[in-house]
Amino acid sequence: MKELRDIYVQQFKTSFASMLQYRAALVIWLIGHILEPLISLVVWSAVSRSSGGSVGGFSAADFAAYFLVLMLVNHATYTWVMFTYEYQVRQGTLSSVLLRPLHPIHSDIADNVSSKLITLPGVLFVAAILMVVFRPAFHFVPWAMAAFLPALFLAFIVRFLVEWTLALAAFWTTRVSAVNQVYFVAALFLSGQIAPLSLLPFPVRLASAILPFRWTVAFPVELFLGRLTPVQALTGMAAQSAWLILSLVLLRFVWRAGVKVYSAVGA
Amino acid sequence: MRVLRLLFVFVRVGVMSELAYRANFFVQLFESLLELGTALAGMAVIFSHTATLGGWRPDEILALVGVYFLVGGAIRLLIQPSMEQLIESVHEGTLDFTLTKPEDAQLLVSLQRVEIWKLTDIVLGFGVLAVALARLGTRVGVRQATAFAAALLAGGVIVYSFWLILATLSFWFIRVENILMIFQSMYEAGRWPVSLYPGWLRFFMTFLIPVAFATTVPAQALAGRLTWPTLLGAGALAGVLFVASRLFWRAGIRHYSGASA
Amino acid sequence: MESSPAIRIRNLSKTFVVTKREAGLRAALRSLVHRRREEIRAVDGISFDLAPGEVVGFLGPNGAGKTTTLKMLSGLLHPTSGELAVLGYLPWKREKAFLRQITLVMGQRNQLVWDIPAADSFELNRAIYRIPAADYRRTVDELADLLELKPLLGKPVRNLSLGERMKCEIAVSLLHRPQVVFLDEPTIGLDVTMQRRIRSFLAEYNRRNGATILLTSHYMADVEALCRRVIVIHRGRLLYDGQLSALVRSFSAHKTIVVQLGDCQADLRAYGEVVSCEDGRATLRVAKAETARVTERLLADLPVIDLTVEDPPLEEVIERVFAQEPK
Repeated sequence: MKELRDIYVQQFKTSFASMLQYRAALVIWLIGHILEPLISLVVWSAVSRSSGGSVGGFSAADFAAYFLVLMLVNHATYTWVMFTYEYQVRQGTLSSVLLRPLHPIHSDIADNVSSKLITLPGVLFVAAILMVVFRPAFHFVPWAMAAFLPALFLAFIVRFLVEWTLALAAFWTTRVSAVNQVYFVAALFLSGQIAPLSLLPFPVRLASAILPFRWTVAFPVELFLGRLTPVQALTGMAAQSAWLILSLVLLRFVWRAGVKVYSAVGA
Repeated sequence: MRVLRLLFVFVRVGVMSELAYRANFFVQLFESLLELGTALAGMAVIFSHTATLGGWRPDEILALVGVYFLVGGAIRLLIQPSMEQLIESVHEGTLDFTLTKPEDAQLLVSLQRVEIWKLTDIVLGFGVLAVALARLGTRVGVRQATAFAAALLAGGVIVYSFWLILATLSFWFIRVENILMIFQSMYEAGRWPVSLYPGWLRFFMTFLIPVAFATTVPAQALAGRLTWPTLLGAGALAGVLFVASRLFWRAGIRHYSGASA
Repeated sequence: MESSPAIRIRNLSKTFVVTKREAGLRAALRSLVHRRREEIRAVDGISFDLAPGEVVGFLGPNGAGKTTTLKMLSGLLHPTSGELAVLGYLPWKREKAFLRQITLVMGQRNQLVWDIPAADSFELNRAIYRIPAADYRRTVDELADLLELKPLLGKPVRNLSLGERMKCEIAVSLLHRPQVVFLDEPTIGLDVTMQRRIRSFLAEYNRRNGATILLTSHYMADVEALCRRVIVIHRGRLLYDGQLSALVRSFSAHKTIVVQLGDCQADLRAYGEVVSCEDGRATLRVAKAETARVTERLLADLPVIDLTVEDPPLEEVIERVFAQEPK
């Protein structure tokens, strides 16, 4: 246990130091980060304006709230492990991952969390600006707010586990970028980043509920915005828990298989 | 003309560089199709909820998507790789080789790298444009077509000059590659008409990071929405930026060779 | 009648202004407000002429100013003061007619395109230099013959070994038959056989084409094989400009023996000149002819842990030889 704590502390220090080094890159990353929700926000506000003020239960202010919260939830749950492993397999440094005494997922989680903590002030600053400019409308529901944090936490874990498992595709092929692309496009639509899920056709909504996408991003957002009934919230958290177990099982299975395959081929 | 001759030679080098990686063509095709699919699906979702977007009709937005892919492809085919290579060569000192060649250095660095598989984006862009044009039908006559060509040319010059100015910064600053990423992110916003964005962002996207001239203005020409002032403005800005980037480049070279400024 | 020199330098100087930065947070903060500027005289008033067709070695330790001089001669750097002319041109003006007649080869830096066969990089230069087809064919054949390039030209450059790549780099830089060839450390990082091959190529090329060759190096061996005349530069100043044979006599007259003993208590003066002794690691300077004998005696007389015989480092020899020479 002490080992784990050391890793997290060490990783935090490393991430902090490298962030400080690459300040300029951070600012640019931040700019790119805000453009995403900004573009969607602007486009959907335009849609609602030309539809007499609201679309599918969302006014321009509702859209502003949705995409703002989406940006924050996305920031909390997103990972970059798929890129990391793709890079490592290209550089040939994937073997060093296998040589570590502790399961590599721990340092990846530590890197993820520490980087996010460091960039959090920037993201909150951007959120503040967006709030001032676009005046989002919030309908706070007390129990939903209470349920939000555990839901967010579950969402983070599930998303991390799923994407980490997918990143292991690097053990099988160097062409992981194609796999990653498909995942990201799917995530774009199915996790509510292009538009709130309620505005998408039924097949899409169904797919997103069966796959983990709804539960890793859209669900916490909808919860925070107070758009869910208590029953929906409970089913949501049940789905999250189910996916938690499923993704743990999948991860274990894929990890073992991946190690076998990779070691057989040789570093 | 010597520009064309050199372009041909560099394209040839680009093709040969990539021929060894034939699989990359399929990867690129796959990625481009995915990106196009995403754009079209996004459009479909939006237009299932409204008839027009900011006054733009679906086939006009489709034309915009076509221009977005066409121009984006041209940028990723030649402008971006060459400018990235320029920045690298300033750091590594391989720019010295370019400077000892008996040819204009700006010309050489602007053509030096061709990512040939990005042609798929250009082809797809043309395809989408063809479909959009068919749907826009008889409303696109010779006038709109020439305006479109002119707007496209102006947009191209503007984007090129802008990238050259950014890349030239590497003569003074080290981590310029990051700045180039800003353009990438902002270009994404060019998928939608600039008129949708709030005033301050519109200004940013027009004059600071010239995405509007790359995508919206040519699309406006096709949709018959382009006004004379805008087109003339685009032409003027293209001229000004071209000259400015040339002057800035020369200043950069003078700095690099330690000439007393 | 004496023909005008191919390269003419008078009192050439180049000064760089560098901001001094120190380590530590306090120093970094201080530097935001007050930047300490320091002037570095990379090249300090050097003068020499090169006649057309000469092959000259430009020798000096790292940081001596060789590369800076070469960059000024090829038009890449503006001189701070002094006169220079190459083939009658002012290099820093970078006139096209001038650039067509010179070439620059830099060791460890490639102009060849990585992913394509060398032959296609050749074609690229052919287009840029606008070499007529017949001349091009002839030149490529000659270079391929002299450098043994035939098996290499069809392979992508990334598949070539370092030495093979260097041969192709030299070839591509000579396609336009330049009258002046600048080479900046061309043999650095190459194995001894390849170094020798490149040197003999340069000698042969000069014999056949009469090109003026200026070659910088910090290897004595490069210059020994290739140049009758050698120019030595150190800390931006010219130390020697003359026949190589005279220089060789002074330079290569000694060898350095580094012997590892248990401690520094033994008196080693009987074996040779003691340069230093620290923690049992003694550095001796002995005459070249004596090396074998001294080594034998050291090994017989003392409890030697380790022993190596080296050429004296260039910096040390230069300091020593030219500090003693009355100017």
